[in-house]
Amino acid sequence: MNLFTSFTLLTLLILIIPVITPSTNIHKSNKYQTYVKNTVSCAFLTSLVPMTMYLHTNQEVLISNWHWITIQTLKLTLSFKMDYFSLMFMPVALFITWSIMEFSMWYMHSDPHINLFFKYLLLFLITMLILVTANNLFQLLIGWEGVGIMSFLLIGWWFGRTNANTAALQAILYNRIGDIGFLTSMAWFLSNMNTWDLQQIFALNQNTPNLPLMGLMLAAAGKSAQFGLHPWLPSAMEGPTPVSALLHSSTMVVAGIFLLIRFHPLMENNKLAQTTALSLGALTTLFTAICALTQNDIKKIIAFSTSSQLGLMMVTVGLNQPYLAFLHICTHAFFKAMLFLCSGSIIHNLNNEQDIRKMGGLFKALPFTTTALITGCLALTGMPFLTGFYSKDPIIEAATSSYTNAWALLLTLTATSLTAVYSTRIIFYTLLNQPRFPPHITINENNPSLINPIMRLMLGSIFAGFILSNNIPPMTTPLTTIPLYLKLTALTMTTLGFIIAFEINLNTQNLKYNLPSNPTKFSLSLGYFPTIMHRLPPDLYLTMSQKLATSSLDMTWLENILPKTTALIQLKASMLTSNQQGLIKLYFLSFLITITLFTLLLNCPG
Amino acid sequence: MNPFISIITFTTLILSTTIVVISSHWLFAWVGFEMNMMAIIPIMMKNFNPRTTEASTKYFLTQATASALLMMAIMINLSHSGQWTITKLFNPTASMLVTIALAIKLGLSPFHFWVPEVTQGIPLSTGLVLLTWQKIAPLSILYQISPSINMNLMLTMSLLSILIGGWGGLNQTQLRKIMAYSSIAHMGWMTTILPYNTTMTLLNLLIYVTMTFTMFMLFIQNSTTTTLSLSQTWNKTPITTTLTMLTLLSMGGLPPLSGFIPKWMIIQELTKNETLIMPTFMATTALLNLYFYMRLTYSTALTLFPSTNNMKMKWQFYPTKRMTLLPTAIVMSTMLLPLTPMLSTLL
Amino acid sequence: MLKFIIPTIMLMPLTWLSKNNLIWINSTTHSLLISFTSLLLLTQSNDNNLNYSLTFFSDPLSTPLLILTMWLLPLMLMASQSHLLKEPLARKKLYITMLITLQVFLIMTFTATELILFYIMFEATLVPTLIIITRWGNQTERLNAGLYFLFYTLLGSLPLLVALTYLQNTTGTLNFLLMQYWTQPLSTSWSNTFMWLACMMAFMVKMPLYGLHLWLPKAHVEAPIAGSMVLAAVLLKLGGYGMLRITPMLNPLTEHMAYPFLMLSLWGMIMTSSICLRQTDLKSLIAYSSISHMALVITAILIQTPWSYMGATTLMIAHGLTSSMLFCLANSNYERIHSRTMILARGLQIFLPLMATWWLLASLTNLALPPTINLIGELFVMMSMFSWSNLTIILMGTNIVITTLYSLYMLITTQYGKHTYHVNNLTPSFTREHTLMALHIIPLLLLSLNPKIILGPLY
Repeated sequence: MNLFTSFTLLTLLILIIPVITPSTNIHKSNKYQTYVKNTVSCAFLTSLVPMTMYLHTNQEVLISNWHWITIQTLKLTLSFKMDYFSLMFMPVALFITWSIMEFSMWYMHSDPHINLFFKYLLLFLITMLILVTANNLFQLLIGWEGVGIMSFLLIGWWFGRTNANTAALQAILYNRIGDIGFLTSMAWFLSNMNTWDLQQIFALNQNTPNLPLMGLMLAAAGKSAQFGLHPWLPSAMEGPTPVSALLHSSTMVVAGIFLLIRFHPLMENNKLAQTTALSLGALTTLFTAICALTQNDIKKIIAFSTSSQLGLMMVTVGLNQPYLAFLHICTHAFFKAMLFLCSGSIIHNLNNEQDIRKMGGLFKALPFTTTALITGCLALTGMPFLTGFYSKDPIIEAATSSYTNAWALLLTLTATSLTAVYSTRIIFYTLLNQPRFPPHITINENNPSLINPIMRLMLGSIFAGFILSNNIPPMTTPLTTIPLYLKLTALTMTTLGFIIAFEINLNTQNLKYNLPSNPTKFSLSLGYFPTIMHRLPPDLYLTMSQKLATSSLDMTWLENILPKTTALIQLKASMLTSNQQGLIKLYFLSFLITITLFTLLLNCPG
Repeated sequence: MNPFISIITFTTLILSTTIVVISSHWLFAWVGFEMNMMAIIPIMMKNFNPRTTEASTKYFLTQATASALLMMAIMINLSHSGQWTITKLFNPTASMLVTIALAIKLGLSPFHFWVPEVTQGIPLSTGLVLLTWQKIAPLSILYQISPSINMNLMLTMSLLSILIGGWGGLNQTQLRKIMAYSSIAHMGWMTTILPYNTTMTLLNLLIYVTMTFTMFMLFIQNSTTTTLSLSQTWNKTPITTTLTMLTLLSMGGLPPLSGFIPKWMIIQELTKNETLIMPTFMATTALLNLYFYMRLTYSTALTLFPSTNNMKMKWQFYPTKRMTLLPTAIVMSTMLLPLTPMLSTLL
Repeated sequence: MLKFIIPTIMLMPLTWLSKNNLIWINSTTHSLLISFTSLLLLTQSNDNNLNYSLTFFSDPLSTPLLILTMWLLPLMLMASQSHLLKEPLARKKLYITMLITLQVFLIMTFTATELILFYIMFEATLVPTLIIITRWGNQTERLNAGLYFLFYTLLGSLPLLVALTYLQNTTGTLNFLLMQYWTQPLSTSWSNTFMWLACMMAFMVKMPLYGLHLWLPKAHVEAPIAGSMVLAAVLLKLGGYGMLRITPMLNPLTEHMAYPFLMLSLWGMIMTSSICLRQTDLKSLIAYSSISHMALVITAILIQTPWSYMGATTLMIAHGLTSSMLFCLANSNYERIHSRTMILARGLQIFLPLMATWWLLASLTNLALPPTINLIGELFVMMSMFSWSNLTIILMGTNIVITTLYSLYMLITTQYGKHTYHVNNLTPSFTREHTLMALHIIPLLLLSLNPKIILGPLY
């Protein structure tokens, strides 16, 4: 049993070493990247031990290491929870980070601050692992905010660009809105249960009211870019591609879903929370899939597809299937990371060109990337026996065979077929047909730092689903039999999407150019969402803060009420009382009047 | 002034005040007041010019009126009780008239008009005498008759003085006038506490005299009579700018300087007597005084005024005016606060 | 306490008698030594106070603030060096003397056993601060700022003096250690209401409460660096300290009286953070952010729960270090750009990368990133406010969002983006400045390892 704790902690310790030794020489050389990469792979191997042990013994472990503070009756310790979710997630996250770091060595090699970049990535990874292993809400919050801030730093990596800064600020803003929800839940748990420890919360809790669950939902929506709080995810593509691959597809954005999965024991009996999750997820998955249809930036398409998949995970949470949602998190991580790496390879080879209209015909120039990209796309759409299939298919099955909102189900199914559509579009535009990029570009993908990670992830995208899905514990409602047409729904929808997309794409050469139709405009302008939400409320708010808070209240009213009025009164009074004429006659008159007055007042009582 | 005359007048000045202070007989007290007035007028007219003439005339007229009123009050009291003893002032009318007469002499509020003008018209050293020494005699009488003073009358006048003292000073740039208004305000504080606890009056007088003395000495040393010329202090005696500032803040009653002692003690006495609104009002009004002291500190120490003065090196020269007592006075007028327990038992 | 007060006073002769080129180094090292000795105060006995004498004592509430005060003096000295570079020697010495005087008064304020002594020292801190602001400030507005600072504080605190003497007369003592045994429950009569107001107003002005805060941005903006630092780090905390000390004597009236003030500070918190978002002036932004953070402390103290008290004390310390650091950073910008306008100092990360790191850390602590003590403070306040009324979480949450926004807005505007051309010949940053920032951030980070020592007496 000791191997659980010791190896999990060892994993974390190994990762911390490159961060806490900043004065060693290795930090100044360019060996640092290799060092960090090797550290992560080492940590990956270490983390496999507790995972295997867990799969063998199926026993959860909690450890409390270091007593931090006790406030009244609330004890806060450094406490790790090693259950299915954390032990499975750690190897996956480490594996993906390992690959992405290796990829960054190629992608970022000309960056002068590449060592810092690696340090940031590593810090991000550590906070993510803190998040997944945390056993109390405070520790969870540390990881939660940590990944938020690291994402701010990494999105704004190219800090000279205004867009990058805006995107970074946007990300942190939406995350912080989600944090309100998280803090609300924390406050509720504290005041009603007097504990932040997860197992105590679950033990004490029978019927959780809506407030804390809605708080968690808000938190998850913020972090996982659900509808309403989604615009930051596509904007975050301003960051370097490895960042997009790591943070905005495979690890950080799933933190929200992960939170809901963690708190599943509280949610499973609350209908409102589940319905909210279902509807929100369905709405997100469809909306972002629609947005993905018309994007021309390759990274944006993949980002929207991430968003759509996150919606799907949310739907799964809403269907009361946390294990399936978790499975989808893990499988999605592999192929999504790979898709990003492929797009990174394309972008870098085409001299930072991200527009898919200027690509085309890359299947000859970049054969390996093409293979990986197509595998990734197929896995994403849920092609049978690729990784995506093992999680996506059960999700659709669970959805179709449950008594839930038919509307939400329909949205999800539509989104599934749209996934196929935009995947096709990527393939069609970037890989097929004639090249549309300038001819003098030197394309070269033969670099081990590029090939190896993609290769690893490709293997993952093909086999990981099979392995992972064989190891999940029995679902909450095991399905014994299922009609054939329901079993084939997902596949049918996907195939339908493929066929339609191919048909339309093949016709592009023959179509006449039309003015964009209204649906196209809707999709192109991301549902008018950023246009409205990023203009009007900030404008109103900033106008308010200028006009009301600054000009009117602070500089006018508060100045006038107290200091100015006081000063004015004193000024007038002072002018009135000290207007000395120097006329002794008047003074004596005043003496006389005063004396008379006092005599009258004081001597005639009545 | 002729040294001979000078000796006579100053001796008379001291003697007359002593007479007022030590006498228990109304007539002697009255005589003391008259002598005092006669003695100060030549000192006022030390520098003979129209302004001093005007000032001393005004001073003479008001003091004479006050003396006449005082005499009348004494007569009334005499006819009612047949007493000449100062402490036995039983008749309310007489008591009121005495109070008013002394208020005129002190320059309490409705009768304060003469104070700024007279102070402005006379030399700085005489101004010092006028605003410090001349307060002793009337206050000593008030001290003795304090049990029979009409409290309403006294408090009305003193609160008015505090207000007027604050407001009046806001409108001035002339240092002597500012000091005059500050004296009016301080007199207000002294007379407020008079019906409750006469010891506090004396304590306040002591501190007030110390601070005013210091202030005037500093003015005399720099020969300044206006705010503008005060702002040139830094090129004559740079160190005194800081000390001037501290003394001014002490006059404003900022803790932990000496000026806070009387304020604190008076507020304490008043709250002991179950009055809470009055001390709050007084303390708040004292901020007006602080404001104009602040303005002086700004021009003296905290800023460098733009100046056309070419003599920026005056500090290199040896000062001609020797102020032997100045360091002691400055220390006393700023750093007495820790000695508060001793001071409050001393008197 | 004399073991801190006397060495601190002896810093003055040290300054005046030091060799001319050693005044800074001597005063800084010795004050740093004194601040190290102050760490001894952290060993508290079981009965929760260290009673050194009848005049001075320290307990878990005053100790962290006391240590913060002493810690800040060397930092202020370090920060001011280049501001005073061109001043004549005597003025430098005078300046250091002023800082030391302020330090002495502050030590005595935080350790006073008697409320009256506390009051006198509370007021006494005004004089050196005023001199620092108006004598060594830069713009002409500093005169107005000094007046605002002085008169707001005095107007608020004079009723306190009257109330204190009244309390002295009724209870017979103003000793903190005795008063808790002496005080009777106050009824809700009008006179008691006024007494409550008189007692609290002084501290609320000092904190400052929204509506009475106008002096703060002015004073902060106009003060020289040391003035801003000490104002933000310690002087505002005098208000919180006073409120924490005096509320036990005003029970149970606080419950009835707190509502309008709670509302005002919650509203003001949002308003002042909103103002931050529109600031173009760096120092003004930091000043307004102080008001918004202090509003949290006010609400925490007014609802009077153990959690909120802990939050308030923690937040005071955390904010003290953070805002002081931000002011230092703003000053180091100012000394290079010669303007407080943010837009003129864009993209500095290119030129001063290490400074950018400090900016980043300071902004992150300002927005209360876990696990800094800023977060602990804010979290505790939020938690206790939530149990007071669930709806406050909306305002608190909004404030958190806005705080994040303006902190990062400040960071992005000054450090990121394209740089302006006139900053091309920038002076490189000095080791002194880096030391200064490190000395701010190290305590912050170390405290988050063991926040027990700043959680106050209720821990």
